[in-house]
Amino acid sequence: MSTLVSAGMARSIRKNQGVIIVFALLVALLVFGAVISDRFRTTNNVLNILEQSTGLALVSLGQTLTILTGGIDLSVGSTISLLSTLTSGLINGDASMIAPVIVGILLLGLVIGLINGLLIIWLKVHPLIVTLGTGTVLQGLVLLYSLGPAGKVPKGFTFLAYGKFLGIPLGAIFVVVIFALVGLFITYFRLGRYIYAVGDDDAGARLMGLPRAKVILTVYGFCGFCCALTAIYLTARFGVGQPYTGLNYTLTSITPVVVGGTLLSGGKGGVLGTLLGVYLISLLNNVLNFMDISTHYQLIAQGLIVIAAVSIYVEKRKRI
Amino acid sequence: MVDLSHAKSAELTGPTAGIAGRLAPYALPIFLVLMIIVAGIISPAFLSANNISNMLLQAAPLGIVVIGQAFVIILRGLDLSVSSVMATAAVIATGFSGQNADVVPILLIAVGIGVATGLVNGLLVTKRSVSPFLATLATMIVLQGIRFAYTQGAPSGNVPPFFRTLGSATWYGIPYNLMLLVVLGVIFWILLAKSRFGREVYITGGNPTTARLLGINADRVTIIGYIISGGLAAIAGLVLSGYVGIVDNWVGRGFELDSIVAAVMGGISLAGGRGGIVGGLFGAAVLIVVFNAVLLFGLPVQFQIIIKGIVIVAAAAFYVRRTQ
Amino acid sequence: MLKLTGISKGFTGVQALSSINFDVRAGEIHALIGENGAGKSTTIKIIAGAFKPDAGQVEFDGKEVHWSRPADAKAAGIHVVYQEFVLFPHLTVAENIFLGHERRGAFGLIDHARTRKDAAALLQKLGVDIDPDKLVSELTVADQQMVEISKALVHKVKLLILDEPTAVISGREADLLFARLSALKAQGVAIVYVSHRLEEIFQIADRVTVFKDGQHVITADIGGVKRNRLISYMVGRDLRDIFPAKRKAPPSDKIVLKAENISVNGRVRNAGIELRAGEITALSGMVGAGRTELAMGIFGGLPISSGSIMIDGERMDRMTPALAIKKGVGFVTEDRKRQGLAMQLDVAANISAADLSSVTSRGLIDRQRENGIARQEIDTYRIACRGPATPVATMSGGNQQKVVVARWARTGGKVLILDEPTRGVDVGAKTEIYRIMRGLADKGIAILMISSELPEVVGMADKVVVMREGLISGELEGAGITEETILSLATQHPTQEVK
Repeated sequence: MSTLVSAGMARSIRKNQGVIIVFALLVALLVFGAVISDRFRTTNNVLNILEQSTGLALVSLGQTLTILTGGIDLSVGSTISLLSTLTSGLINGDASMIAPVIVGILLLGLVIGLINGLLIIWLKVHPLIVTLGTGTVLQGLVLLYSLGPAGKVPKGFTFLAYGKFLGIPLGAIFVVVIFALVGLFITYFRLGRYIYAVGDDDAGARLMGLPRAKVILTVYGFCGFCCALTAIYLTARFGVGQPYTGLNYTLTSITPVVVGGTLLSGGKGGVLGTLLGVYLISLLNNVLNFMDISTHYQLIAQGLIVIAAVSIYVEKRKRI
Repeated sequence: MVDLSHAKSAELTGPTAGIAGRLAPYALPIFLVLMIIVAGIISPAFLSANNISNMLLQAAPLGIVVIGQAFVIILRGLDLSVSSVMATAAVIATGFSGQNADVVPILLIAVGIGVATGLVNGLLVTKRSVSPFLATLATMIVLQGIRFAYTQGAPSGNVPPFFRTLGSATWYGIPYNLMLLVVLGVIFWILLAKSRFGREVYITGGNPTTARLLGINADRVTIIGYIISGGLAAIAGLVLSGYVGIVDNWVGRGFELDSIVAAVMGGISLAGGRGGIVGGLFGAAVLIVVFNAVLLFGLPVQFQIIIKGIVIVAAAAFYVRRTQ
Repeated sequence: MLKLTGISKGFTGVQALSSINFDVRAGEIHALIGENGAGKSTTIKIIAGAFKPDAGQVEFDGKEVHWSRPADAKAAGIHVVYQEFVLFPHLTVAENIFLGHERRGAFGLIDHARTRKDAAALLQKLGVDIDPDKLVSELTVADQQMVEISKALVHKVKLLILDEPTAVISGREADLLFARLSALKAQGVAIVYVSHRLEEIFQIADRVTVFKDGQHVITADIGGVKRNRLISYMVGRDLRDIFPAKRKAPPSDKIVLKAENISVNGRVRNAGIELRAGEITALSGMVGAGRTELAMGIFGGLPISSGSIMIDGERMDRMTPALAIKKGVGFVTEDRKRQGLAMQLDVAANISAADLSSVTSRGLIDRQRENGIARQEIDTYRIACRGPATPVATMSGGNQQKVVVARWARTGGKVLILDEPTRGVDVGAKTEIYRIMRGLADKGIAILMISSELPEVVGMADKVVVMREGLISGELEGAGITEETILSLATQHPTQEVK
């Protein structure tokens, strides 16, 4: 009996390897930060970190799902740029426009994602190439709309980014809620489980008659939706949207996903790991700031963290 | 896990009937020629000596990077770090000196950086089983950090006249950098298509397990592939800096994705084991022609970007059709 | 239950099926046999809804059907167990079994606990002891096969198709499978059983159909045909001797390879084996006994945790494939598509692959020499292809296997290891490969053949080494080699360790 229990435990550890490692790193970093600086330990700082991580968290959530299916969405950066620019451009200081524009942007994000999904299904081209293409087209489109910052948002709008509920930033709460919902979806709903199947063995999923098309559309559509959320949040944060808002987000949305234990080839991983990965990265930047290390070195550190994390997740490579 | 190759191979075989079947392997060059003709008709300026010279000058650095990228992709990988290598190598190497006398050290330092990066990439991918996407993404980020830390955000080097000539001058209308591309192209084509190492590259890229069981040192072959990519990227960085004329932190920006696109358009499959340098170079040519044509038609630069995106997807879709 | 009439299907340049007829009745086990390329696979895919026929009619349960996707056939009650499993390695056994039909609880949410319980019950009914919580990637191949088969039991299945189910299981597990199939038969399920193993077909089938070159040859009641007749229908000619004569001369004294106390990572323990020049040694045992691991350990493809290997008297401290090849050892792997052939290259490139030095001069590959060598080998081994430039992906299993054997045979080796050399190879090509093997042995090469096909072992081996659960359980020679003695050595000892 005890061997069964320990075998079960061993398996749980292997299955959630990523989450455990990130969590450990997170704790280690927290301790480190607390030790080196007083200001680090203030609630203000913690709230700051939570706030700053919202944008990255939202887009990484969408990216988690696309990566789980064995694909990827390289158009997120341009999508965020486009949607953010449109948000501030369309609202243009008019408070009455806020509600309709937000709805419109969310829908537009969803539609862009669906288009990605459709192209992937119809053309049978690897998602990397498809989303690279659509991302490029979208970047061109946003530059057509505006070469620089567009419009502006009224005062009330920034509440979305800076508002607090019971002292905790709205964004952070929203992030936790939506992560939890998606987590539930992929654990307890059929379509959610199929995401894993498609990522694990796409050809097999097709042969088993799984609704592959539905899975792909859902996943990329949702990713587009997440881009919209991120775009709205960023616009609220900066007060205006511009054609390069999302530039860095394409590649940096992948980092938390991978660091959190999700395999780039798909089929294994989850949203909890991604969330922890997001916090880890934000925390890292924060700690480095306190150490007075310039942003350039922060970049180096980020790169090294990625390398370290994935080196540890080596899938036992069977020699033959 | 499921093997449908029985059906697929049946589709691939048999005498490919008709002209369409016979012409398929030459699709890209034909497309290129057609595009040039069409562009020339719409805008005669396209075919002017000046413009062609321009295009060739732009194509050369990309072509050099594509040669390296070809090796990596055939080995089932990707090299996202090339743009960072280009910039970092150029910035650091010229940071030491802008004199012609120091051309050799500059070259050595640059290539050294490229080779070191390639080595790190290769080791990560083979010894630590890191996915190439992530490994090269990480090195790209790290190099970026190093480069900015080194220059403190404000690059302060000078491009030696040697590289400026190499990068932007012509000899009876033929750009020097194009000649360099041709030389490098021939050398590495022989290496990939004709040499024993090249054969090992194809076998390893097709299936590393099979390669190992044949006594091929798959890890070493892969590492060398990444080293080639890094080294060539460094050279391309110097050449591009020569073209631009100044030392810039963002030299080669976008080249990582452009080179992958060019390779894929040239028939080099992301799945590994297939394709060649010639195809990749044609892909690069197509890309350059498309950009240039769009600009010359008087369309705003945004359209250049949009068309680029459409071409990427269309070309990939075309290749998928062919092998379905 | 199922009736195919006048079905034809072609792919570019290849006519896979020409107007075939095939029918299966409820409550019968109908065997479908034929050489590779005969069209069995295509027929199955059409029945499963994965392919659409170019011409002809498919009737199921009395109605004409036009399926466009596998999901349709599945919904109608057809379940296929493919030779290459459709299992998802990162999902658990329970999840795999119920994929698509998950057990649901409140609010339509998936009830994981119930899924696990139901899976355990199913597996128990099948008589296998597999933990439903284990990830499929952690299972042995035989266990994965069982999971694959239990998927068929989830549904109310009307037609069950099994494609080479015993390719990876044998003995006790196969018997369990047959018992299950009989039970299903009694319930009125129609079963199509595709297999190369004629003994099994005679054991469980009611009727048998032979396909050849995409055409239907004959359908007969199993009681009314003899084994050799079936073979001749499949091949189109009479085959009396499948196996060439065994070694005539007395065993040579020359021990070419000696492995002692080899242990491989928990799969093999203290195994030893001796290979003599000119002798064919078979390595027998159940699937999972550790045969491939032992052979791979000797070749250097897997690391050995202890033991020593001596080749021609020379002791090897470390083994890697490169070293093994240099010392004259070749390895024809079990899975030629994933471990043996460079699928995207042509015949010539594959033949030279283990010995690139022989076609390299001054660092460059000499294509002329390579092609010349290839032509020679094509001739010697009667490989059916259009020439040295033929892509191997377009060739049949038997011919692909010949390319692999040719590759290793020409490395001037002393030892040749072959792992399941005739798996997925049709009867005609099998005979040729046997002759090739005996020919190589007669030239003085020591051959180690791993095989799960008892008739093959009995027919070819001069000596048999039997493994059981990672240990060598015995050796047999000469007249002592019979299916019974091999089986008894392979199943004798009780399990000593829970793996």
